[in-house]
Amino acid sequence: MRTYGFLDPVVLARIDNLELLARTVVDGFINGLHRSPYLGLSIDFAEHRPYMPGDDIRRIDWRVFGRTDRFYVKEFEADTNANFIAILDISRSMDYTSDGISKLDYGRYLAACLSYFSRQQRDRVGLVTIDSDVVEMVPPSAKHLDIVLHTIDRISPGGRGELEVPLLKIAEAIKRRSIVALISDLYQEPSSVLRALKYLQNKGNDVLVFHVLDRAEIDFPFEGAVNMEDLESGERIPVVPERQRQKYLELMRAHLGEIARLLAESRMDYFLFDTSQPLDYALFKYLSRRESLSRVR
Amino acid sequence: MIGFSFLAPVFLIGAAAIAIPVLVHLTHRQSKDAVRFPSLMFLAKIPYRARRRQRIRHWPLFLMRSLALALLVAAFARPLLEDVAASAGALVSARELVILLDRSHSMAYGNRWERALAEGREIVGGMGADDRATLVLFGERAAAVSQSTSDRAALLAALDAAELGYEATRYGPALQLAREIVERADRPRKEVVLISDLQRTGWDDQQVIGLPEGAELTVVDLSEKEALNLSIASATATRSRTADREQAAVTAAVNNHGTAAIEGLSVRLLVDGQEVGVEKISLAPRSSGRVRFEPFNLPGRPLSGVVRAGDDALPEDNEFRFVIAKSDPVSVLMVGSGARSGTGNLYLRRALEIGTEPGFRLTERSLSQLTLADLGEQRVVILNDVSYPAGTLGRRLGEFVGNGGGLLMVLGRRSRPEGWPTEGLTLLPAKIGGTTDRSAMGGGTLSYVDYDHPGLELFQAPRSGDFSAARFFRYHRLELKDSARALASFDDRAALLAEMRHGQGTVIVWASGLENFWNDLPLQPVFLPLIQQLVNYLARYVEPRSWYRVGEVLDLSDGSLGGGAALSAAAELVVRRPSGERVLLRPERESHYLALDKPGFHEVRVAGGSGEPALTVAVNMDPLESDLAALDLEEIVGTLTYEGGESAGTPSPVQLSAEERERRQGLWWYLLVGAGILLLSETYVSNRLSRAGR
Repeated sequence: MRTYGFLDPVVLARIDNLELLARTVVDGFINGLHRSPYLGLSIDFAEHRPYMPGDDIRRIDWRVFGRTDRFYVKEFEADTNANFIAILDISRSMDYTSDGISKLDYGRYLAACLSYFSRQQRDRVGLVTIDSDVVEMVPPSAKHLDIVLHTIDRISPGGRGELEVPLLKIAEAIKRRSIVALISDLYQEPSSVLRALKYLQNKGNDVLVFHVLDRAEIDFPFEGAVNMEDLESGERIPVVPERQRQKYLELMRAHLGEIARLLAESRMDYFLFDTSQPLDYALFKYLSRRESLSRVR
Repeated sequence: MIGFSFLAPVFLIGAAAIAIPVLVHLTHRQSKDAVRFPSLMFLAKIPYRARRRQRIRHWPLFLMRSLALALLVAAFARPLLEDVAASAGALVSARELVILLDRSHSMAYGNRWERALAEGREIVGGMGADDRATLVLFGERAAAVSQSTSDRAALLAALDAAELGYEATRYGPALQLAREIVERADRPRKEVVLISDLQRTGWDDQQVIGLPEGAELTVVDLSEKEALNLSIASATATRSRTADREQAAVTAAVNNHGTAAIEGLSVRLLVDGQEVGVEKISLAPRSSGRVRFEPFNLPGRPLSGVVRAGDDALPEDNEFRFVIAKSDPVSVLMVGSGARSGTGNLYLRRALEIGTEPGFRLTERSLSQLTLADLGEQRVVILNDVSYPAGTLGRRLGEFVGNGGGLLMVLGRRSRPEGWPTEGLTLLPAKIGGTTDRSAMGGGTLSYVDYDHPGLELFQAPRSGDFSAARFFRYHRLELKDSARALASFDDRAALLAEMRHGQGTVIVWASGLENFWNDLPLQPVFLPLIQQLVNYLARYVEPRSWYRVGEVLDLSDGSLGGGAALSAAAELVVRRPSGERVLLRPERESHYLALDKPGFHEVRVAGGSGEPALTVAVNMDPLESDLAALDLEEIVGTLTYEGGESAGTPSPVQLSAEERERRQGLWWYLLVGAGILLLSETYVSNRLSRAGR
């Protein structure tokens, strides 16, 4: 059984240097795995398959030909230098915290860690920040980690959140298949979320969705009559939490369930985090997915 | 059924304040600062209906706050308890009760008093909310010990404080007081409850007792079928004198009020605590007898005597107390015409010499022998058919009368008033208009005697003295002065006896001589008491009483009580009552009245004086109180009359007394306390909820 010493995001928040933070998380995570930092590189043999016309004759395994008198082609693990693009939702709704760090900070750390980790995997890393549009975009490159981290460091909350427009733009901008990680609180209708993500998936990208929520958004622990203000729209409505909690939780569960169902059906990976969960736990989730995706057939 | 009204209903406007907690609990107090939330997309989907929003939360807290406010409002509005049923039927059911509780001493027989108190408590306990009652205690007199009230606690307290008295029973004053109370009452039903042993002696058949029309008389009869009682009704002393010694023989009247005969009852006489005689007596049922004890010597000081017999359920009347002292004879100076052997003074002398109650110390002088010294210690001077002394003697005699002495002027054949000096004529109540001689016609008779006069009232009763038998042959015609008063007149309207005040003394003139010459009155039986009565009157003699009845009041400033001048002049007197209690009286401040409220010996001493009491007063129960025979209820009912009264049968709204209103509106205190408790509880619950909310 693997055990991980997860790091509390609140503790990590004290680290001002985003790179140091990412390295702390990722290195600690990797050390914990006791695995080679070069996992997924193309030196790993996968399997043999019969030669098909058009295959590169250089990939014919002559030793097998010598023993079997048949042409087999060697297949290796995934190719190197995949694109990793972190899409970070910086809409106002992400700038919320009930206790500890905000969703935006959590998203920043997560994006930094994922980028750093990907870079360790020799992937090209890029970053896109969005609200209702693309705010900032760092194209994926093997040299852009610093820019990515710097961009993440400068992030400030944007305006209203909207996925379709920016994701459509991103999908059009990505020229190469990429691993796209969307970090967002997904405050849209699940169908709308799916529709937006489909733009990316339809371009051949692997889409991972990191759904970040605050614990208060999940449990709705409020008491007493309150006026609640929408962080994005500024709209206020009176709320009696005691009376509305049950319905809220039902709606939230239905929302999360629907998103999970739709994304699963669309073969997109979906991870739900609350901001109290350790970042390396998110990395672990990502790594598991990355491993399964890295096989090239 | 109990209902409410309010003394200050304007405060009920404050009930609108109950809307405050309603609003508070409906509107849900919202934070001043809005809570920022990432997205309201779910909350906006949750129907936020007004009805739901207006549901009251924290019901216990809301109820506490509302109830506390309601109680406060109600307390300020001063709720008044009203008996709704009574308000519907009050006009016909509210009663004015007068409880007449007999506290006369006959109620001490057996357990009558305890039963009477129990009955009284039961009656008070049975009072309705709108009933009012007055407790009247009565013996000889009646007094309401409580005002008309519906406060049962006050009535019960008055009953608890009631004490048995020593007075006799008189129903008249009690019923009269009850009548006055129910006549004033505004309750439609009037009820008089008589709790008594119905002693017959307390009922005056001649007295007509009226109650207002519609008033009911309820009698609680506490008498027993058979009440045995023995009593000493009186003790009288018969005096006898031998030389300088005076003796008294006591005769006691013993009554057997029971239906059983008494044989060989020992009756004892105690004088100054020492038993001086025991006599036996047998008494038939419901009879009385007398025992006479051997005489005993009377010393110079008063003696306290007690006659005692038997022992029964009413012990107080088994004793009879008296005080007896050597008599103080009235000193009389009789100025006659000649020697002692003569007949001029004979009848007068004899009449006075045989007097014992009181005795007379008679000094006889002829006009020529009379000196100033003879007037010294006299209380009465009789000028028996002599001229008025002239000169200094005449003036001193005038002064003697002016200072309170008595002068009897007997005008006969030798007095010759026309030749009297001026002083004599001034003292004479009448001018002398010559002599009337009726001997030829067999003499005149008396046609008028003023029996209302204190000196003659003894003869008022039938067979108490017959003046009509006397014949008057000659007499001086008296022309009465304006200030004079005729006490007896002849059939020709000429006055025989006339009186006139002079200074502090009194002068009586007799116009027909007292020597069996001008009239034959000295030979009539009435002569002797007449002379004694006239002299006693002139001497202002009052027979000292050997005992008093419970309930009498003694005026200690009255010199005739026997206490002497020291008692009259004392600045402070100390009275030792039979119970041993000492009471200080200050006669100069007019507190010289001694209420004789208990039987026994009351001893009066001059404060700071010697140990011997200046006056001892024996007090006994009214002998009538010893007769426990009960009255027939029908007699009472038959004697009562009902008179139409203004309020009888005309129900009027029940007016509550001030204290009754206060009692009924006292509810506001409880409401205020309840509100306070609720507010404290509200604070506690509110804090708990607030902490839980955080």
